[in-house]
Amino acid sequence: MILHYLKIALKVLARRKFFTAVSLFGIAFTLVVLTVATAIIDHAFAPMAPEVHQDRTLIVARAMMRGGHAMWRSDPGYLLLDRYARNLPGVERFSISSSPRTAYSYIQGNRIQSVLRRADADFWRILQFDFREGAPFTSDDVTQARFVAVVNESTRAKFFGSSRAVGREIEVDGQRFRVVGVVVDVSRLRPVPFADVWVPLTTAKSDSYKSQLLGGFMGMALMADGASPVAINQELASRLRRAELPDPKLWKQLYAPLETTLELYSRQVFGVDEDAESPAGRLWALMLGAALLFMLLPAVNLVNLNVSRILERTSEIGVRKSFGAPVRALVAQFLVENLVLTLAGAALAFVLAQIVLSGITASGLLPYAQLHVNYRVFLAGLALAGVFGFLSGVYPAWRMSRLNPVQALKGAVR
Amino acid sequence: MIRHCLRLVWNRKRTNLLVTLEIFFSFLVVAAVVVTASHYVGLYRQPLGFTIDDVWIVRIDTNTGDLEPTPALNAATIEQMRLLDAAVREFPEVIAAARGFAAPYVDSQWINEVEHSGRHIPYNVNMVTDDYHRVFGLRVTRGRWFSAEDDAAATIEPTVINERFAAEVFGTDNAIGKVIPQDARRDGTRPPERRVVGVIEEFRQLGDFTTPGNYAFLRHRPSAAPDGQVPTAMLIKVRPGTTTAFEERLARRFHDVARGWSFEFQRLDELRAASHRDTLGPLVAEGVIAAFLLLMVALGLTGVMWQTVTQRTREIGLRRANGAAARRVKTQILLELTLMASVAIGLGVLVVVQVPLLEIVGGIPGRAYVTGLVISAAAIYLLTMACGWYPSRMAARIPPAEALRYE
Repeated sequence: MILHYLKIALKVLARRKFFTAVSLFGIAFTLVVLTVATAIIDHAFAPMAPEVHQDRTLIVARAMMRGGHAMWRSDPGYLLLDRYARNLPGVERFSISSSPRTAYSYIQGNRIQSVLRRADADFWRILQFDFREGAPFTSDDVTQARFVAVVNESTRAKFFGSSRAVGREIEVDGQRFRVVGVVVDVSRLRPVPFADVWVPLTTAKSDSYKSQLLGGFMGMALMADGASPVAINQELASRLRRAELPDPKLWKQLYAPLETTLELYSRQVFGVDEDAESPAGRLWALMLGAALLFMLLPAVNLVNLNVSRILERTSEIGVRKSFGAPVRALVAQFLVENLVLTLAGAALAFVLAQIVLSGITASGLLPYAQLHVNYRVFLAGLALAGVFGFLSGVYPAWRMSRLNPVQALKGAVR
Repeated sequence: MIRHCLRLVWNRKRTNLLVTLEIFFSFLVVAAVVVTASHYVGLYRQPLGFTIDDVWIVRIDTNTGDLEPTPALNAATIEQMRLLDAAVREFPEVIAAARGFAAPYVDSQWINEVEHSGRHIPYNVNMVTDDYHRVFGLRVTRGRWFSAEDDAAATIEPTVINERFAAEVFGTDNAIGKVIPQDARRDGTRPPERRVVGVIEEFRQLGDFTTPGNYAFLRHRPSAAPDGQVPTAMLIKVRPGTTTAFEERLARRFHDVARGWSFEFQRLDELRAASHRDTLGPLVAEGVIAAFLLLMVALGLTGVMWQTVTQRTREIGLRRANGAAARRVKTQILLELTLMASVAIGLGVLVVVQVPLLEIVGGIPGRAYVTGLVISAAAIYLLTMACGWYPSRMAARIPPAEALRYE
């Protein structure tokens, strides 16, 4: 039966080429936009190297200090992370790194702008960077405050062209470092690992960071298998309740949660500071709602085209109805036709989306992003295409099934 | 004619409803983009108050974090800053240099409130050194900018405000010499009086696409020991044609003078370009998507109208046989479409007007909505006319004899 429907569908689509082309254009365009959006979201949140343990990784990227009259919101400071967030039960490894900052280097009258992050040795154990040359700096390098650096491929190209970098020196932010490793570029959309140059924490220009509760750092915890994020958070919260605050008259309470990247992002979007319930679900709902809203106009457009096309096929439908075809069969037939059209549009859309994504990658709008239509994006795109095909097919199918056979045969349609 | 067309449209209400719905959604899409764009155009045309040609910014990080500075630390910071201020003036490339908490296109704001006749009026505060106005070419319209004559006054804090702020707090009175009311500090003492010594034309710190606000400059005196924080953004006006080579020399000098500190060098025109990109980028993306949506709608509507005309061959043929001119038939088709577009636009306007009325999105003045809606309506009429053009010509060409043969 389905085969039969397919055959009719192809015949119908070939008959009115203008309509088919216009419908395909609409469908393909709609799905290109949705697929590109999905690919960017996927690129920002899906697990991928170097965040290979993303499902077990929690980060501390927000901290808050509150008093009667004042509130101080910032990234956590080294003291908070070092004194209170280390050795939490259920955490296998804990890393402290500085929040990334822009630093400058000068080579023969040219300026090189890079993002510098100061990190510890565990940073390289939790995140699995892909090394092109050399190796990460070690915990020995960190304790000895050796001036060594890991750089990414783009930075290597800027400093040394295509030659090897390990063993050579670079000057960043007025300090000289010896390159010990070169890693593959990591996208800026991945805020946890992102940087151009990584150097040991202890090479900081001043030690004053060690005495600060707030500002300038990020903690990253790798949970043991099966550990509960809730329990870990409770332990950290109870330690922070007992924390020594700098000015007890002014500040009463310290707060810093361990969370996933998605939780962090959704809390920023909704401006929720410390809700036990993470608004990640709400974020998904918002994105899905936006996708549906965007599909509305293209769907109405396609409904219009479909209705016109059905009215043209009045006599065919009249014949089928008078020979006893049930409403269900007609609706099914039309939905299949519409899905065929939608899937053809989706196939076109995937090709176009890949071209658009390559364009975005090449333009450098999202630094170091490598955007692709991968299988997750493909599946999401197919699902969206299905929803779209259904949305735009149901009403015309219903209209079609409601035609009065007698009038339809006469060819009079309103 | 219009009444007649209305009836014709009404008779085919089911099909026409869908067409109207499509035009309605298209109108919403166009309106969203055009209202935003006209809002930005309106903002862009207002004066900025400063020029940033050949201005560089050095953001100084003392690497001591955000904690409240102790007096000892503060004294050291101020001394170090003084050395940097002196160092930058050694270079012949430098025309003027100043420091401030904030600079144009740098998103760092310090906001105070003044209570005036029961209203809380927020204003931006920026503490700057004396040469700040030279770096940015600020235009003083009344009174004067900060100068050495302010050194004597210990208990007052000389203040320069923008015209907008002067008008809002002091109305038509001359603002010079007046005091901006402030609340007492948390410990009960009175802060030094902020007395207005001058009024500048404008200073829109966050740039061309932000809503102008109230602004006040306070004076930072490197020689006096302040109890607060120290301005850490150094602004340098360089001679035209100064290159990165100078930046490199300057950076080396700064790293030598203040060894523990970090410096971030930027050109304000780069910051402006980045700020424009951040503002206009999403709008351009939306515009491109909207344009494609409209192209899709245009093709779709053309298809639907074409189909409609084909279906109505008999009706139109009959009209022609009864003596209607080809032109009249054409007008009829276009008029029907115009009626549907009008209904859609009317509904669309009702919906869009709710946005400012219910204050769903703040900050966009009514003028932008009016301009935006007028332009959107014109665009939609144009679009539907373009879609109806070919089908209406087709309808006008229907030979009556052939059409009637169907009966």
